[in-house]
Amino acid sequence: MTTSLPTAGVLAPRDGRSPESDGDSRLAPGQTGRQRVRAVLRTLRPADWLSGLFVLGLLIAVAAPTLLTSYDPLEAGAGQILEAPGAAHLLGTDYLGRDLASRLVFGTTTTFSASAVAVTVGLAGGIVLGLLAGYLGGWVDALVSRIVDVLLSVPGLLLSMVVIVALGFGAINAAIAVGISSIANFARITRSEVLRIRNSAFVEAAQHQGSGRARTLVHHILPNSLGPVLTLIPLQFGGAIIWISALSFLGFGAVPPQPEWGLLVSEGRQYLMSAPWLLIGPGLAIVLTVLSLSHLQRLAARLRKEFS
Amino acid sequence: MTAGVREHPAAPGSTVSPEDEADASGTAASPRAWRPRVGHGMRRYVAGRAGHALLVVALVYLLTYWVLFALPGDPVRNRLENPQNPVPPEQAQVIIEYYNLDLSAVEQFLITLGRLFQGDLGYSLGTGRAVGDLFAQGIGSTLLLALVAFGIAVLIATLVAVFAVFSRSAAVRAALNVYPSLALSTPSFLVGLFLLQLFSYQLGWVSALDTDGPAGLILPALTLGIAVSPSVTQVLIQGLGEANDQPFVKVLKAKGLSRSRIIGRHLLRNGSIPALTLLALTIADLIAGSVIVESVFNRAGLGLVTEQAVRSQDSPVVLAVVLFVAALYSVVNLIADLIYPLIDPRIVITESRVARRPARRPAGPPGDPNVSLPKGTS
Repeated sequence: MTTSLPTAGVLAPRDGRSPESDGDSRLAPGQTGRQRVRAVLRTLRPADWLSGLFVLGLLIAVAAPTLLTSYDPLEAGAGQILEAPGAAHLLGTDYLGRDLASRLVFGTTTTFSASAVAVTVGLAGGIVLGLLAGYLGGWVDALVSRIVDVLLSVPGLLLSMVVIVALGFGAINAAIAVGISSIANFARITRSEVLRIRNSAFVEAAQHQGSGRARTLVHHILPNSLGPVLTLIPLQFGGAIIWISALSFLGFGAVPPQPEWGLLVSEGRQYLMSAPWLLIGPGLAIVLTVLSLSHLQRLAARLRKEFS
Repeated sequence: MTAGVREHPAAPGSTVSPEDEADASGTAASPRAWRPRVGHGMRRYVAGRAGHALLVVALVYLLTYWVLFALPGDPVRNRLENPQNPVPPEQAQVIIEYYNLDLSAVEQFLITLGRLFQGDLGYSLGTGRAVGDLFAQGIGSTLLLALVAFGIAVLIATLVAVFAVFSRSAAVRAALNVYPSLALSTPSFLVGLFLLQLFSYQLGWVSALDTDGPAGLILPALTLGIAVSPSVTQVLIQGLGEANDQPFVKVLKAKGLSRSRIIGRHLLRNGSIPALTLLALTIADLIAGSVIVESVFNRAGLGLVTEQAVRSQDSPVVLAVVLFVAALYSVVNLIADLIYPLIDPRIVITESRVARRPARRPAGPPGDPNVSLPKGTS
């Protein structure tokens, strides 16, 4: 690992060190749980509420899409093709007369599950590689570091396209491809966390008590190095939404009748001149989701700093 | 392209001079100046970095080749054995001989590698044309696009960051501070379609169909520039903010320099160093981003070639594109590392191979290499 300068990683707030109480903590010792919650709530700004509510809405769209829309996302409506947004169809209808709002709501599940797959692949691969590299050191570390260098030297989109050429098209394959291209980020942070923790006193104590290498790794080092890795998840989830929708937009991801955000944009693109509203819904959905997720991530980092 | 890879060690030949410059401008005058010993250690550092870059590019090639060709689902064999579109036997024989399908995977790889060093990138499985030709056709247009986009990204980053940090209006500062995360959250295909809708269809300033000529370049370059700008802008905002907090700014104000001169001559030069490094790394992103941008604007180039190659699972073309981008990334990264001391004289490459340490500057305000205490004039 040769990177010693800020790369894209600087955008992700890194709070690896658990902050010491540095005097400006707003909590007096001995506060009850309710006071704690109130103190947290007082610091929230409107933008925090908005992004939280938006993500909540998205979760409802995933869990119970029928609550938010009464239309079938796949049912074509003759005689209502390319209708402008109105009372009946909030976001208008597409070229087959399908209700766009409903396709967007049902598309949330497609997009979110693909992103979840991507983040899981990236997280699992990254944690395994980072743990092995950081703990075993030596040639394993050298090998993993070269793999990470390789993954970092090819831009994510191109890397996912290589994987897609190998695996074939489809929503799941696109998700796996995006996941593989995010392994490097997770592996880097895991490795540096493991290196930080490997030599701490409690690890040494565990070893003196007869804990073997595998047991030390899984029971002591892994749980203690996970924190900063997990804080990366919302950001990577947002990134995965963007990459997956880009792959779907290019036609490498979800397959047409499926409602997927990137695919909705791609379908609406042909009617850019005559029916630009087809892009507004899906476009706003992508932007607001990613924006909300990154905002919540920053909020979480801020709260952890203030109330630890 | 292969030439580019092999030229690594030669490229940074000029990097001995920044050391001398660093000495002349900064530390030479002071008695405790730490003089970097240029020569053997420097050469070893350069060779080590170049070797590492070469290794990474070679590994990229090896891994990509393995993923694309050696795993089950070999594209060439798939094409030969495609039941819907059978290849005539005599043509099949030619293909088998060219790709050496009767040999082992390792031998196939070695032969492909040998051809690569002779400048033969193979043939497209989709169109049957030489990959080198496809590259030659697309690369000019894409490099031009990337170059203009690069300029636009620099312009956006500088303007946004300067006003986000130094604007007198708090509202402007707050609004511009949102720009990096907003741009990062907006996929480039949306930016492109929005610009197309606004400037071509609504305002009618640029034709959506005419992709040649300077007018056809503006919107794609703007899209690509916006796509790579957020990280650079973010780092520049941070850098300018940090530079602005340093004590030397007070000295400059006390000297009576105007605000614009302090920002333009001192703060930008100090605060932009991390952003410059990041900027170098965006060059590979520009090429990768051209896949989406050229597809949105239907503009011929390497990006469109890549997109069609992925669509038709044309592995030789994809392999060549990956090799090209990885080589570009590594070369640019290497050059950025080596010219770093040129930009920031405080940073010197020490004999220990990778470590960087700031030269000690006992005299003068810390932090600003552009500031020397007033010599009589002020």
